[in-house]
Amino acid sequence: MNDKQGNIFSTVEKYYKDYGLRAKELKKEGKKIIGYVCSFVPLEIITAAGCIPFRVRGNIHEPITTGDTLLETIVCPYYRSCFDLSVKEKYAFLSGMVIPHGCDSMVRSYSAWSYSLPYSYFHFVNIPNVCDESSFEFFNAELNTFRKSLEKFTGKAITDEDLAQAIRIYNENRDKVKALYEFRKADPPLISGTELIMVLTVGSSLPIAEANTLFDKVLADIKGREKSPINKGPRIFIDGACLDNIELIKLVEELGGSVVADTICNGARDYFPRTDVGRDPIDALAHRYLDKINCPKTYRKNKAGTFEGDIASRFGDIRAYVREFKADGAILYVYKYCDPFGFEVPARKAYYKSIHVPLLHLEDIYSAGTMGQLRTRIQAFLEMIG
Amino acid sequence: MAEEQKEAKAKKRMTATQAAASIGPMVKEFITGTLRARAEGKQKLAYTFIVCHHEEIFRAMDVIPLWTENFAGICGAKRDAERFLQRAESLGLSRSLCTYALCGIGFDQWREELGQMPPDAPWGGQARPDFMISSGQILCDPRSKWYQASQQYMPDVPIYNIDLPHPMFQRDQDHRDVWGYYHKYIVKQLRGLVAFLEEQTGKKMDYDRLRELVALSDRTWNLIEETYSLRKAVPCPMGTGDAMNTMVPINFMMATQKAYDFFLDLKKELEEKIAKGEGEVQEEKYRLMWGGGLPSWFALTDFNYFNSKGASFPVETTYRMVAPLNEMDIPETKDPIEHLAWRWLGFWTLWFDKAKKRPGSEPDVERLINWIEEYKIDGVVMHEAFSCRTWHVGLIWQLHQLAKIYKPIPVFVIGKDGKKEKVYRELPSLILESDIIDITSYSEVDTRNKIDAFIETLESIRVNKAA
Repeated sequence: MNDKQGNIFSTVEKYYKDYGLRAKELKKEGKKIIGYVCSFVPLEIITAAGCIPFRVRGNIHEPITTGDTLLETIVCPYYRSCFDLSVKEKYAFLSGMVIPHGCDSMVRSYSAWSYSLPYSYFHFVNIPNVCDESSFEFFNAELNTFRKSLEKFTGKAITDEDLAQAIRIYNENRDKVKALYEFRKADPPLISGTELIMVLTVGSSLPIAEANTLFDKVLADIKGREKSPINKGPRIFIDGACLDNIELIKLVEELGGSVVADTICNGARDYFPRTDVGRDPIDALAHRYLDKINCPKTYRKNKAGTFEGDIASRFGDIRAYVREFKADGAILYVYKYCDPFGFEVPARKAYYKSIHVPLLHLEDIYSAGTMGQLRTRIQAFLEMIG
Repeated sequence: MAEEQKEAKAKKRMTATQAAASIGPMVKEFITGTLRARAEGKQKLAYTFIVCHHEEIFRAMDVIPLWTENFAGICGAKRDAERFLQRAESLGLSRSLCTYALCGIGFDQWREELGQMPPDAPWGGQARPDFMISSGQILCDPRSKWYQASQQYMPDVPIYNIDLPHPMFQRDQDHRDVWGYYHKYIVKQLRGLVAFLEEQTGKKMDYDRLRELVALSDRTWNLIEETYSLRKAVPCPMGTGDAMNTMVPINFMMATQKAYDFFLDLKKELEEKIAKGEGEVQEEKYRLMWGGGLPSWFALTDFNYFNSKGASFPVETTYRMVAPLNEMDIPETKDPIEHLAWRWLGFWTLWFDKAKKRPGSEPDVERLINWIEEYKIDGVVMHEAFSCRTWHVGLIWQLHQLAKIYKPIPVFVIGKDGKKEKVYRELPSLILESDIIDITSYSEVDTRNKIDAFIETLESIRVNKAA
């Protein structure tokens, strides 16, 4: 980030590097900060309870040590890193933690989290595995249980109006993120992938109103840009789970690519779906989190009766984004030990082939130590499609 | 081609009971029976998973379940999984994923490509299904991803995915406050399964028959508990090695008279052995619990190795997927589907109340503690299979918590003032590392060295206790 592009990115970089800085200040002011992992946690309910949701992130530069004394190494490496930092008190300012049924690693380690960390509040949100009428009914009830549990923790009732207001502010937040993505449509993009992921990562560590203010400032800054921070190169789409460290994207951009769109959990998968307004708020949240978040963990019925029809339905968002953002190639970035994404690799490969998008599949272990190997493969891929 | 090569044949494990010895031929007959049924075409065949409480529904509809985890386990036990695993890898699937699923998908892809069974398929191979019943639940991600991945190679085979959640243990929550809506949901999911099977088979569910089958399963559950409780005897008449055979009628034959009769015979056999003072090992020195993890199906002789050191395994948490019905606090109902849903919830919440009463405990830990006491256990052995998060994540923490809150073995030491003092030693534990069917992850030498070191620890405790 250069000085010409304004101070806002210096602020972003500061909060990115010292992740949780603002949360620590808020904790000192008496606020309750609630940690969470995974896009399935309904943040609107936490905010409506008067608490501040804080996305726990890992660190690919930090070796996993204490965490491995309590949790198996066959856990998703991203999640392992989050756990390791938590037990090493990186997030000691949290008052509580919410873990959803996002994958087996989350479910099976819930006890390890809840007994190893000194937070006064823990809650597990059970996410249905299918999207049908009965699962929405179940999920509504489960979200109301979550609501009651937060009410008990804070001693404050969460009204429907509180929820409606939180839904409005989160929808605004998602609109701003979409506006940020719009700047990626230019060639070269007016915002680099590295900058964007840094902004979004920082946003998930702030109270939602402050995140909105930050995003507004970033939007204003980019509007004023006359040229792109990166050179024109192959336009790359990133497909995968959570990428809360910038290194992979930075590597692609250092090698001459432009990261222009994604399906990642802390990117389009989470930010693009809005919550419906004007209906029962819990019902609206149940639909957003269960149906609109396109996560491989959720089983979606093959309605077409053919493999081609099935993948077109399951991965249709990829085609839409690739076209909208004019991507030249895609990187499917999957963590080792990730069952939900791992089992989809052959189908996703077939899908990219069907839409004629060159694909590089990478399996990685959430460590800075692998960046050298990835560099060689990414470089070869960019040369191939460039 | 490497994947065409079969591996060296596995050595047979010595069983302690006649009942366990009868399982191999029984499974072989089941597999060949499914192939006969496929050829005859009179009954529908369905891929599906164990521990879904849906066997009664299958059998009432005359649908033959093809237990895909069982077939992968057979490939592993016969040391013939590698060629299917390699085929799955060649499709883009990582070896770090569930190897049961990889073996199954590799096999399916190969069978579909050839239009016939892969060469020398174990016990004739796995029949092509008419449909697949997957099961997303709180238990296992691969269960809803495996068949979806297999469908790429057999797109004409439909899937029905049932969701079977259960409440998680949360100290500040009484599961009874939430299980009403869990029950309602599971009932709807199971009724959806009935509707799907009716559509696929063209038959209507006979609810009287279903009710009878559910009652038969309930009786079998109670009988299994009575039978397995006999293993509390000293010396222990049957160990975990045998239980890895007798898991077959529990998990693959439930809701059949054959499963019930099997346990009647086993119970009689154990009672006779107890009367004669016959143990799994001739001179029982150590009583161990298999406290978690699926076994390495290709290395079951490791149980014989433990036995050769005087170690017996009276109890295991693995595959004991039944519990006495009278210990479950579940409402009465005449509707068999509603009963299945309550039984599901009753099973998964069985240890919740007890765990809440002990500070620092949790249902899995509580089960370990209770069985350590009931079965007079001297040490805990676990197995970490690298490819399965479902059963293997959380084991380290459970041992950690066990050591923290439970110190059951009193020993006397000479204190500072020269007087005897009673102190409590931690229960020793051993974690073996390998996989369920991927033999490349296994070293017999390393495993046995670990076992030897563990036995030395047990022996030193035994000597101290005696002193």
